[in-house]
Amino acid sequence: MNRFVTANPSKCIGCRTCEVACALAHSDGAGVEGLAPETFKPRIRMVKTANVSTAVMCHHCEDAPCVNACPNNAIVYRQHSVQVEQERCLGCKNCVLACPFGAMDVVTVPAVRQFAGMTLSLGVKAQAHKCDLCVGRDAGPACVSVCPTSALTLMDRDAMDETLRRRRERAALEAAEVAA
Amino acid sequence: MEKHMAVCPYCGTGCKLNLLVEGGKVVGAEPLNGVTNEGELCLKGYFGYDFINDTKILTPRLRNPMLRRSRDAAFEAVSWDEAIDYAAKKLGEIKAKYGPDSIMTTGSSRGTGNETNYVMQKFTRAVLGTNNVDNCARVCHGPSVAGLQVTLGNGAMSNSIPEIEHTKCVLVFGYNVADSHPVIAKRIIKAKERGAKIIVCDPRKIETARLADLWLPLNNGSNMALVNAFANVLINEGLYNKEYVANYTEGFDEYKKIVDKYTPEYAAAITGLPAEDIREAMRIYAAAPSATILWGMGVTQWGQGVDVVKGLSGLALLTGNLGRPNVGVGPVRGQNNVQGSCDMGVLPTEFPGYQKVTDPEIRAKFAKAWGVESLPDQIGYRLTDVPHLAETGKLKAMYIMGEDPAQTEPDLALVRKGFEAMEFVIVQDIFMTKTAMFADLILPATSWGEHEGVFSAADRSFQRFTKAVDAKGDVKHDWEIISLLATAMGYPMHYNNTKEIWDELRELCPIFYGVTYEKMEGLGAVPWPCRDLDSPGSKYLYEGNVFQRPGGKGLLFATEWRPPKDQLTEEFPLILCTVREVGHYSCRSMTGNCAALQTLADEPGYVTINPKDAKALGIRDQELVWVSSRRGKVISRASVTDRTNKGAVYMTYQWWIGACNELTIHAVDPIAKTPEYKYAAVRVEAIADQVWAENYVQQEYAKLKGGLSNAVTRATKKAPAYA
Repeated sequence: MNRFVTANPSKCIGCRTCEVACALAHSDGAGVEGLAPETFKPRIRMVKTANVSTAVMCHHCEDAPCVNACPNNAIVYRQHSVQVEQERCLGCKNCVLACPFGAMDVVTVPAVRQFAGMTLSLGVKAQAHKCDLCVGRDAGPACVSVCPTSALTLMDRDAMDETLRRRRERAALEAAEVAA
Repeated sequence: MEKHMAVCPYCGTGCKLNLLVEGGKVVGAEPLNGVTNEGELCLKGYFGYDFINDTKILTPRLRNPMLRRSRDAAFEAVSWDEAIDYAAKKLGEIKAKYGPDSIMTTGSSRGTGNETNYVMQKFTRAVLGTNNVDNCARVCHGPSVAGLQVTLGNGAMSNSIPEIEHTKCVLVFGYNVADSHPVIAKRIIKAKERGAKIIVCDPRKIETARLADLWLPLNNGSNMALVNAFANVLINEGLYNKEYVANYTEGFDEYKKIVDKYTPEYAAAITGLPAEDIREAMRIYAAAPSATILWGMGVTQWGQGVDVVKGLSGLALLTGNLGRPNVGVGPVRGQNNVQGSCDMGVLPTEFPGYQKVTDPEIRAKFAKAWGVESLPDQIGYRLTDVPHLAETGKLKAMYIMGEDPAQTEPDLALVRKGFEAMEFVIVQDIFMTKTAMFADLILPATSWGEHEGVFSAADRSFQRFTKAVDAKGDVKHDWEIISLLATAMGYPMHYNNTKEIWDELRELCPIFYGVTYEKMEGLGAVPWPCRDLDSPGSKYLYEGNVFQRPGGKGLLFATEWRPPKDQLTEEFPLILCTVREVGHYSCRSMTGNCAALQTLADEPGYVTINPKDAKALGIRDQELVWVSSRRGKVISRASVTDRTNKGAVYMTYQWWIGACNELTIHAVDPIAKTPEYKYAAVRVEAIADQVWAENYVQQEYAKLKGGLSNAVTRATKKAPAYA
């Protein structure tokens, strides 16, 4: 099963700590001082409506519409998750339109090449931009570790099984109440 | 990488954290398992440290003492010797000419720590010879202190922060916990998961209202009517604890007479709430085996703040929710050390440890310890009195430490006039601020992260914080600066470190006596009262239901509801209520210099408005709008949201361009002198030319930032004569 981060709206307080942690975890070590409004592109987004506050991010679907929509096989299943091979991304945005959760975006970043000790500009490079579960980060997804109300959880097979077990138990108890 | 233990400088929760340091620079923060935060931090705790590094995103750090010899001159960098001599001479002259009561000082409820605040009030009382010392509790929880001291005998939270998640009912009144104290919000969520009922009284659909079992969206300005109606239901439905009331309270008959009129039906007309919801709230509250009331600025920032605080404590007394674990009354302190500045006596009425300046024995004790013949016996001025006192010539000099009243006080035009009327203003800060622009002398201090000390969390817990990095520039610790000034004024004062100061004050304050540096080592937290060296302190107050009042009983108090001061008219038809947002803190001198926090929210800030009001005014979401009151006019950005109630708009108070305090009214509570920030009549207008408006915001913002920054660079560019 693909792993994914899930948000519990009954715990979220809309504080956006997850957004900053996400941007920092993908800043190549630039730290907070590298953050600026123009370049702030977290892969997790806090959404606030009249009645709901919660974070929205990639579900790492088992049969992912983004993977199926990509014409250049840039989106792949790897390490029990959906990952983007950025060098293959064309920036065509098929994946953006295919994702039912609004969790995929296409962003452009400055493209550069090193040549004889100089940095040469190659214009811009498109990137399909979404949650990568912070693969490679020892402590796991940064958003999950910082959420002050523990509204975010990393769901893997074990966590999912535990959730299912609790749900079934509750359903059984409710059924018993109805019968009684 | 080095790690240095600190306590977060942003709210009263008192979260313990490590500052991560590389090459003499703070590069990160990680949570520690402190008593109040248990391994959690919030947005500001995690990402609010880089202001220490002088990012200059909003304003520059101060590096040298700066003086201007006349108000039309520019600041020039001067040596510490010159700065201190100048200040001592000027203050001495003003004291000799107009008397000690013509001078006022402030403590700081922010990063400086308790020891500095102790030294500041000692300087004010023993050296200047006045009780004119105050702190920004005046504009926040002043009414909680004043109200609870009368009804229960102690102005602080009765119970500890960790207990909140073990209570069976949380009554949240005028308190946006998600934005003010995110880590305490987690306690409320955990309480709910453990089966507690959550009742929220707030006109807005704040995050906690979303999670509540019952949300009472009362009309803005109707608090007292609702609290009286709550008491009415508890009494008339027989829900109150008769035995507790008989044994541990007084004033019931008088109390009952007043609240009798406030039937839920009567209160419904004032509060706009269904009478049945008022009843339901009290049925839930009274039925809970343990219940906690938490409140914030929605209770205190009113012309009738003290009365409502007393009323809320009455609900706890009626139901016996005091004097044991997991219950109580909680005025949750907003600034990280506003509890501490009150503890340290930077109040015009009290010495450290809540010992009254009007008590001759107490005065004699302090006079003896401080080696002076006598200490002033008249209570001093309040911070909110300052503009009026300055304009009428009673106040001639002010020494402001670590506060920015030109941003945070109500009716800023009035505040500016006050500063201009004064003969001598000293500002001691870590940043160039709007207030510092009014100063004659600016004294640069070390920041949180550059010094050590003790903070008081909102639940009375004393905790130590340590130094992480060396300060850059020619700056000194706040308490060193004050000591130098005292010495120059003929009162030799010298401390080697904060522990020396702490031990001096411990000896003078019986309720802090047992709180030693050793006990606070590491993650140690010691809640006062702690009278003995072998005591762990008091997690909750009023054990055995003994209240710190003559006779030991709690006082039931009610009074008639009074409507707010400002008048809604056709010209100013909407209510403006000032609030806060999670990413910025106080005047924003710290958070505005943090890259992450400034990335999430920048000028001109938002005015939130209900879709119906917005539609009627032709305003769309995210458009710039004018907001004006009888006192001023500012530009802000509309956030059209159903979470805001119809008829009211809300602005956060840290913006320079969208400065809501240009609009607020200087109407204060008669006892606490806390301003009515929560109710000003305003008009909101659409702006047809949005391109012009966007440019205007950018230009004005650049002008303000440039003005502050230039004042510092021009002063320091000139090679100082002493260098």
